[in-house]
Amino acid sequence: MPEETLRPAWSQDFTPDAIQQLLASGPFAKITPDWAWGKSTGKGIRVAVVDSGIEHDHPALDDCVKGGVIVEYDSRAENYNRIKAEDKPVDVSGHGTACAGIIHSIAPEAELYSVRVLGRSMGGRAIQFAAGLDWTIENDMQVVNMSLSTSSEDFYGLFHDLADQAYFKNINLVSAVNNIPEPSYPSLYSSVISVAAHEGKDPFTYYYNTKPPVEFGAPGIDVEVAWNKGQYLVCTGNSFAAPHITGITALIRAKHPDLTPFQVKAVLLACAANTKRGSKKKR
Amino acid sequence: MEADKNIDEKKLSEQLQRLLMSIEASGRAILPGSNDTLLASIVEAAAKIFGAAAASILLVNEEEEALEFRVSTGEANRDLVGTKFPYEKGIAGYVFMTGMPIATSNVKEDKRFNQDFAESTGYVPNSILATPLISSDDRVIGVMEVLDKIDAESFDMRDMDLMGLFAQQAAMAIEQSQQIDEVQDTMVRALKRLAKADSSKPSPELQSALDQSLENRAEMEDLLELADLFNRISVLGEAERKACIQILEVFANLRKTDKSPFRFR
Repeated sequence: MPEETLRPAWSQDFTPDAIQQLLASGPFAKITPDWAWGKSTGKGIRVAVVDSGIEHDHPALDDCVKGGVIVEYDSRAENYNRIKAEDKPVDVSGHGTACAGIIHSIAPEAELYSVRVLGRSMGGRAIQFAAGLDWTIENDMQVVNMSLSTSSEDFYGLFHDLADQAYFKNINLVSAVNNIPEPSYPSLYSSVISVAAHEGKDPFTYYYNTKPPVEFGAPGIDVEVAWNKGQYLVCTGNSFAAPHITGITALIRAKHPDLTPFQVKAVLLACAANTKRGSKKKR
Repeated sequence: MEADKNIDEKKLSEQLQRLLMSIEASGRAILPGSNDTLLASIVEAAAKIFGAAAASILLVNEEEEALEFRVSTGEANRDLVGTKFPYEKGIAGYVFMTGMPIATSNVKEDKRFNQDFAESTGYVPNSILATPLISSDDRVIGVMEVLDKIDAESFDMRDMDLMGLFAQQAAMAIEQSQQIDEVQDTMVRALKRLAKADSSKPSPELQSALDQSLENRAEMEDLLELADLFNRISVLGEAERKACIQILEVFANLRKTDKSPFRFR
């Protein structure tokens, strides 16, 4: 485990001065946003939102929510959790609805599933989160949005294992990095697409960061989002950057169903706003 | 024999009193006074650093499954201190549940939010930045909020990043302060049980010492004052600290040899 140090503010890598220009050459130069997701609507892609739930009948969501589960902590149950089906999901805070609204605005025909892991019980927050992620792996989700994290070292191994399982089952995990000076899991694993916020407004403009572990920067500052009780709110946070990449990932996977998680990541890199296409000139 | 036992118990209870006071004093020497003083100094610093009109701290009340307003500064209604609301309410509740910071703006424009915000912030701000207070073992122990950015419409990512750093330090200080209170509390409770455990040999001296230990601290007030002084000295420069140590050493040695040129009473 790395020694605990004060980590940099992740979003600082995506300020206009800090963004590094990249070059896509050879076959990668042929990968354009139009090739990657042009005309795609994310049709049929199953996207899980692991969060506070989703308000299924929010007007911003146009009936894209197809089901969900509630994961509860139970100290007496096997693996300390209980999972209940929730056909018409609700949202206990509004945050999951915000993420779902962003994903739906980018991939309008993707099917969204609510995996509610946040609630009144605080005892098993990380356990609920892990059990929710496990549910997405066992239930054939294709893209998973996780705008939450844990900094508990106790869960480092468990989340690492789950992230690997997802990777080998062709599931793209998209995770918001937490803006606290602590490691946050699972956002820092290489099998995960980790996202911080940048100041731009165009939902399809995102950047690749040449200084991982945080690899992508997407809009997350003063974003108008759906909130619970049919409301809308202007919000800032890495939580709202991740769903942009989740939505784009759903578009790519709908258009190119054979791509694996690492190929999707390569496509995302090739289509980043700071990637130039061309070949290195030989002298 | 009975007399000897009483003398022993008296000694023990005196030692115990001293021990409890020194735990309290050592805490005071490291931390700025009581937990409430500490919280107040944190929110005042936060409001200044982030250019906010107001700031507040809510800490978890696990027994009632609620977040409790512990301190607020600026426009936020001070009467709210002590009020509680369930985990899932408002922005603070969300930050508490997810452990992720969030900033929002244009709150006043949308009347529908007023109720939630009024409950979680004390008044309806234009902008808000809320960050979790996370303990060293990854428990979210509360939420710190700064309200109404003075020179801008909203708090930005830089504020959020800085507040993450600030909140980490604040959480550590709050945790340490709580631990010192808890250590003393736990110790008194454990010893009380011990004193009562053997009913055939009641220990009235010990029990009364323990009963008094948390309430009656008047006798040791000067020790606590000294601890406060240490705390103030600790933030001075190295040269000043060294000078203070030398002065205190002279006093301590004089008292030891009982040849003090000063009249202490």
